[in-house]
Amino acid sequence: MPADMDNSSVMNDSTASGDASASSSGNQAAAPPTSSAKKKRNLPGMPDPDAEVIALSPKTLLATNRFVCEICNKGFQRDQNLQLHRRGHNLPWKLRQRSSKEVKKRVYVCPELTCVHHDPSRALGDLTGIKKHFCRKHGEKKWKCDKCSKKYAVQSDWKAHSKICGTREYKCDCGTLFSRRDSFITHRAFCDALAEESAKAQTVEALPAPTADDEEPKLQTLASSSPPPSVAAQPPPPAALASSALPVQNPEGPENPKQSPAPPQILEETSVVTSLTGSCGSSSSSSSHGSTSSSVFASLFASSTTSGSMQSQTPEFTDLFRAVARPENASEVVASSSTEPISLCLATSHGSSIFGTAGQERRQYAPAPQPAMSATALLQKAAQIGAAATNASLLRGFGIVSSASASSGQQEWSGRGIESDSASLAAGLGLGLPCDGGSSLKELMLGTPSVFGPKHTTLDLLGLGMAAGGGPSGGFSALMTSIGGGLDVAAAAAASFGGSGEYSGKDMGRGS
Amino acid sequence: MKTELRGNNTPISLQNPNLFDSPQSSILSGALKGCLGSLDGACIEKLLLHCASALESNDVTLAQQVMWVLNNVASPVGDPNQRLTSWFLKALISRVSRVCPTPMNLNGNSSPQRRLMTVTELAGYVDLIPWHRFGFCASNSAIFKAIQGYNKVHILDLSITHCMQWPTLIDTLAKRPEGPPSVRISVPSWRPPVPPLLNVSSEEVGQRLGNFAKFKDVPFEFNVIGEQPTVPSSPCISTLEYSSLQYDFLLNQVLNPSTLKLEDDEALVINCQNWLRYLPDEQNNGASQEISCRDIFLNRIKDLNPCIITVVDEDSELDVSNLTSRITTCFNYLWIPFDALETFLSKDNSQRIEYEADIGHKIENIIAFEGTQRIERLESGTKFSQRMRNNGFFSVPFCEETISEVKFLLDEHASGWGMKKEDDMLVLTWKGHNSVYATAWVPCGFDD
Repeated sequence: MPADMDNSSVMNDSTASGDASASSSGNQAAAPPTSSAKKKRNLPGMPDPDAEVIALSPKTLLATNRFVCEICNKGFQRDQNLQLHRRGHNLPWKLRQRSSKEVKKRVYVCPELTCVHHDPSRALGDLTGIKKHFCRKHGEKKWKCDKCSKKYAVQSDWKAHSKICGTREYKCDCGTLFSRRDSFITHRAFCDALAEESAKAQTVEALPAPTADDEEPKLQTLASSSPPPSVAAQPPPPAALASSALPVQNPEGPENPKQSPAPPQILEETSVVTSLTGSCGSSSSSSSHGSTSSSVFASLFASSTTSGSMQSQTPEFTDLFRAVARPENASEVVASSSTEPISLCLATSHGSSIFGTAGQERRQYAPAPQPAMSATALLQKAAQIGAAATNASLLRGFGIVSSASASSGQQEWSGRGIESDSASLAAGLGLGLPCDGGSSLKELMLGTPSVFGPKHTTLDLLGLGMAAGGGPSGGFSALMTSIGGGLDVAAAAAASFGGSGEYSGKDMGRGS
Repeated sequence: MKTELRGNNTPISLQNPNLFDSPQSSILSGALKGCLGSLDGACIEKLLLHCASALESNDVTLAQQVMWVLNNVASPVGDPNQRLTSWFLKALISRVSRVCPTPMNLNGNSSPQRRLMTVTELAGYVDLIPWHRFGFCASNSAIFKAIQGYNKVHILDLSITHCMQWPTLIDTLAKRPEGPPSVRISVPSWRPPVPPLLNVSSEEVGQRLGNFAKFKDVPFEFNVIGEQPTVPSSPCISTLEYSSLQYDFLLNQVLNPSTLKLEDDEALVINCQNWLRYLPDEQNNGASQEISCRDIFLNRIKDLNPCIITVVDEDSELDVSNLTSRITTCFNYLWIPFDALETFLSKDNSQRIEYEADIGHKIENIIAFEGTQRIERLESGTKFSQRMRNNGFFSVPFCEETISEVKFLLDEHASGWGMKKEDDMLVLTWKGHNSVYATAWVPCGFDD
């Protein structure tokens, strides 16, 4: 039976062998556009729309001897080996031939439901690939490199890594270490350290284990790349620090009789500092992204050096730059999202109650207090008070509505009323998830007017005050219906309060 | 994946009649997060599509509601799906706000300022994943081969990565057995306003390159081509006028033999890296002409008689007028870098977030803008190759050396990266999916 796995088509594999794969059950639970047996067509990103999608079970994927001789039941890791072996059985001509000639292209999906490669449109083209992927992503990392601490689930990955681990290290004058030559070269070309080095007579590269393509005989002494040059070379410190670094630098060049004269160094650093200040200023002027600049400078130091030389100075710089670039709406940067203020954070980060007392939500939507109020914050506010239902619309909260009667001639925003027919809204987005407070959850999602105070019939973008027009929002029900298929899985899982743990939400899971 | 909009009368059964129970406050947010956080990619894609069709049909209510849900899924520091969603949502919101002028964006520029990097940061940025380095490696190798025998090389560099490609070529040329040629690099003084953005000028970049070339004993010259008139961001000039100004600048000042100071004994190399997609592809003004600006540009390149043209770009068809299909294609393509970054960088890694933000910038342009403001007009590698052939170019196959160089490069990165040959192209793949293509061309009838 296992010998059929290679040749037979899709679902027969897993069901025949009795390994009820997660994928097959998952496929049936949802009513998705495809099951693993069907081919997806015309999907962008799908390598070959006519390829046959094969879903193997985890057990099959992990099995090392998948190819079993039907005559003596000996197992082999590779099909070629099996075929070689079969010849030894002196089979009559007919049996020597493979059962069917499969010319069809095959792609394989990962059995792990939450995995991005579970979706046929993200299938992998070869069996070895999917096996390795499964091990790497969902398997236990049994192999560990003894030089560094990296762990691997696939033995060949581990072997490949061990070969190169620590064999090549390139060090720039500024102290940064590189394991790849091209990154090293590129960095070196633009590194500030080069400008100082260019006056030096001898410059070298440090290569613990020289490789064939590295014939440069010059060897860079590490002594010359001492901290002070690295200070100058790094994303420039504030002027004060730069000037203090300078006097240190000059006497420090150990093997360099011809020092590059001080003035150019000062110039270089000053100009760089200026540009830093410039960008600092410009970034703080765009107030809603003020916090970007603080993270900018934080990341300047965080990411730009791997050597220890700057580490001790990093916190001070970070604080310094944070002070310099104090964003006006630092409070808008929600705690959970550390660096990107433009980002959209989960609503949960605002701890205040989601359902403001009825009637108060209007005041919460006073015209955006600062123009810098980020989309994030506004959406979160919307979430707090039940986005769609409020009198002041979600997008009005952005400040998108300039005046109550602003006419946007170009656009016809037909005012469609919020459903007073809560029934149709109730099923809502199909996310009728009976978690705790499930019914209220739906309310939240749908923003049933009755919860939020005065029932309003209009939810139009511009607040044009148009009466509730057009009947039920057909689009909405269509949304619910069409999503229902996919979300039923979520609903079903959640129905058991917490689900079966299939939804780790970690990987990019696709249509189950 | 077509969205199906049904009629108005679809009956929907109540799942819970007790709709009006009093809400429980913050527990709900947790529950909501827990449930929605587990939406998988297919659902998110559907939500995005519904939002798009809602926008297209002016169904504001639906659009808002979907966006609200998406907002609860999205997180720029979550898993790749959540991160990708957050950028898509942002783009959708941007699209909506574009059609409703607000005090915030009346000046026409509501795009957030992107961070300016230092050159060394950019050097690290382009090597985070082989997305760029793949193109650099393949192109440099093809260029190296093509200029064999020449003592002078002139490279016209049309790219958005600020000359990050050249140090490795200079390094290779320095080690040429017959000695390095003298190298001249020209860049236009204008580049599309897209990330990655530098905090220094092109001249400064060129100066550093010059230092490096000197260090490697390669004769070197760097020029910034063209005097671009600074266009004020006043509302007087329409975006159409602005974009045709840029286009004219490119054609007349940059692809101009005299401004380029072309010399006969020089090998001319034209390097287009993530560049051609910014050239408009609509039919030219003349009603009788069926040739687009992009084709005109290519023909002008041909006229310069370069000895090789290297073209690298992303392999996806993103220049379609239908919003819904743009969203789908975009979502089913840009998951790749997000997935790749996830494999080796932590969720709050700042380099990763920055890289993703730059992709978000691209997403925003593709989704939120139309007309001349939508400058991202990417076409697939296959289509592009056909265009080149139609315009009278021969493809130069990549030799075995190049292929093994690229393979070597990819071996040093995460194990999902691969490469394949597809007709004339070398294609970078992530887990088998096409991401970036590299090609090399000569004009038919190239005069050596």
